[in-house]
Amino acid sequence: MFLNEMQEEVRETTRSFVDNVIRPAAEALDREERFPAEIYEEMGKLGLFGIAVPEELGGPGFDTLTYAVVMEELSRGYASVADQCGLVELISTLLVRHGTPEQQKMLPDILSMKRKVAYCITEPEAGTDVSGIRTTAVRDGDGWVLNGGKIWIHNAPVADTGFVLARTDKEAGNRGMSIFIVDLHAKGVERGPKEHKMGQRASQVGALDFSDVRLGSDALLGEMNRGFHMMMSVLDKGRVGIAALAVGIAQAGLEAAVDYAGTRKQFGKHISEFQGVQWLLADMAKDIEAARLLVHSAATKIDRGQDATRSCSMAKCFAGDMAVARTADAVQVFGGSGYIRGFEVERLYRDAKITQIYEGTNQIQRMIIARELLRKGARA
Amino acid sequence: MKILVPVKRVVDYNVRIRVRPDGSGVDLANVKMSMNPFDEIAVEEAIRLKEKGVATEVVVVSIGVAQAKDTLRTALAMGADRAILVTATDDVNVDLEPLSVAQILSKVVANEQPGLVIAGKQAIDNDMNATGQMLAALLGWGQGTFASSVTIEDGSALVTREVDGGLQTIKLKLPAVVTTDLRLNEPRYVALPNIMKAKKKPLEEVSLDTLGVAVRSRLTVLKTVEPPQRHAGVKVGSVDELVSKLKNEAGVL
Repeated sequence: MFLNEMQEEVRETTRSFVDNVIRPAAEALDREERFPAEIYEEMGKLGLFGIAVPEELGGPGFDTLTYAVVMEELSRGYASVADQCGLVELISTLLVRHGTPEQQKMLPDILSMKRKVAYCITEPEAGTDVSGIRTTAVRDGDGWVLNGGKIWIHNAPVADTGFVLARTDKEAGNRGMSIFIVDLHAKGVERGPKEHKMGQRASQVGALDFSDVRLGSDALLGEMNRGFHMMMSVLDKGRVGIAALAVGIAQAGLEAAVDYAGTRKQFGKHISEFQGVQWLLADMAKDIEAARLLVHSAATKIDRGQDATRSCSMAKCFAGDMAVARTADAVQVFGGSGYIRGFEVERLYRDAKITQIYEGTNQIQRMIIARELLRKGARA
Repeated sequence: MKILVPVKRVVDYNVRIRVRPDGSGVDLANVKMSMNPFDEIAVEEAIRLKEKGVATEVVVVSIGVAQAKDTLRTALAMGADRAILVTATDDVNVDLEPLSVAQILSKVVANEQPGLVIAGKQAIDNDMNATGQMLAALLGWGQGTFASSVTIEDGSALVTREVDGGLQTIKLKLPAVVTTDLRLNEPRYVALPNIMKAKKKPLEEVSLDTLGVAVRSRLTVLKTVEPPQRHAGVKVGSVDELVSKLKNEAGVL
């Protein structure tokens, strides 16, 4: 929309890779629930992971808006692939901001997907309310001993390295959590079975169990007891990423619906000639555009160093709700076919649902928007 | 050896083109433009020759409007070292004729002294398929058109050409002009970090005056029309009916 020349070039490049490699593979990846290692290896070579990692640390060094553009384009091909990009972006952002030079040495392997990462926050008793985590890291000599369990962790079945939020001070609430870099092949780490999900089925999600896992002195990321705040500091960016991902899903649905409406004939004419269908398409297009503008506005605020919390929550919430509603419209345009496995819009509808749930539920986003309104005033 | 690759900014191959209402040409205002796909193959081939150590420098050149800088940046992001924009017009609807383009390119060649020029066999907008040939003629160089394979050895280029009857391999003394066909290679995807790096690569702008070329048009477009609408086919009931239709209506038997 208001992208500069370079951002346009990134969009074009990503789009051609998506059209040739990702979008054609999506149906099979969804059906087989398969981790597309070969696609990720290729993406690593093209610099499609760690979009904002500075050049000197091995990344392309783009801004948040460019990251949002990449996320939308990837997701237009397949949301699971975009979500992997989002995951790597968050982990690498944490490493860039808080990692020691020694810890940052793992960045090139993370960006090339030679080292697969997992961001381990959620627990059975701590979903939206992270302060409820029970995983503990207890001082032991110059290191720590990690105990506890995480669930619904993206990449858990395949990851090499976990970034694990654990309690380091029982009494200190949100000021008593720290993030540890954990070798997931180490003794004491158990992986639960892969979850079978409704959508984004190529994303491998499962549980991780830690019993007496020994962590060295170099395992702590950033400051002790600041884990919660570090995690919160990348939330805005995470939300922009998921908002862009939701826009990408809906965009794919719109493209499919427009194509179909222009070819499917009933009563002797293309269904695109019926006003009922035209209005569906028009509503899809306008809401997608609105969500995209919210995403770009939120990303731009982050890039300009402005307070972006309200914008990011608005983008995430609107785009997620929009994606579910408008992919449902895409299914509607397809009629019975849209309800059949193997048709892209059927998958898109399933893939969209989680965007209202992960990266902070849309109910939480509304709480945040309201809190910001009441605290800082209603003026934009 | 230096390789010079001319690249043209054309309507993107995915765009559904529209004829201007006055029939003077195709509507180019507010249409997505990209690098001519055959030129992309040419850039890729030049970069591969550099990666193999055969070439030392890849210079890309585009002739036309200032917006062609985007096309040159794409070539730089793919891996070209340096770009030259010859600003020849400020009207996006002006399409320079092949002879003018070849004359301008011959001046660029005189300045740059490349050992090889690799060009697309044609641009997908007007499909002239003439610039490479004209350039070779103006320079008095050998030419290998419709290339599906290029090998450089001992001051020569072995070029396999896709001709009507099959494949023909010719040996050209360098310097020479090669034009690319579709099967020469598959252009790479641009890596994101290279888009950033391309911004820092040199892009020189030169004017027609500096090159000492005057552009003269020799062709007049009389009209441009859209292809006729495809009509619905017919179903035949039997083989006999099919044969009779092929004989009597289509006249192909």
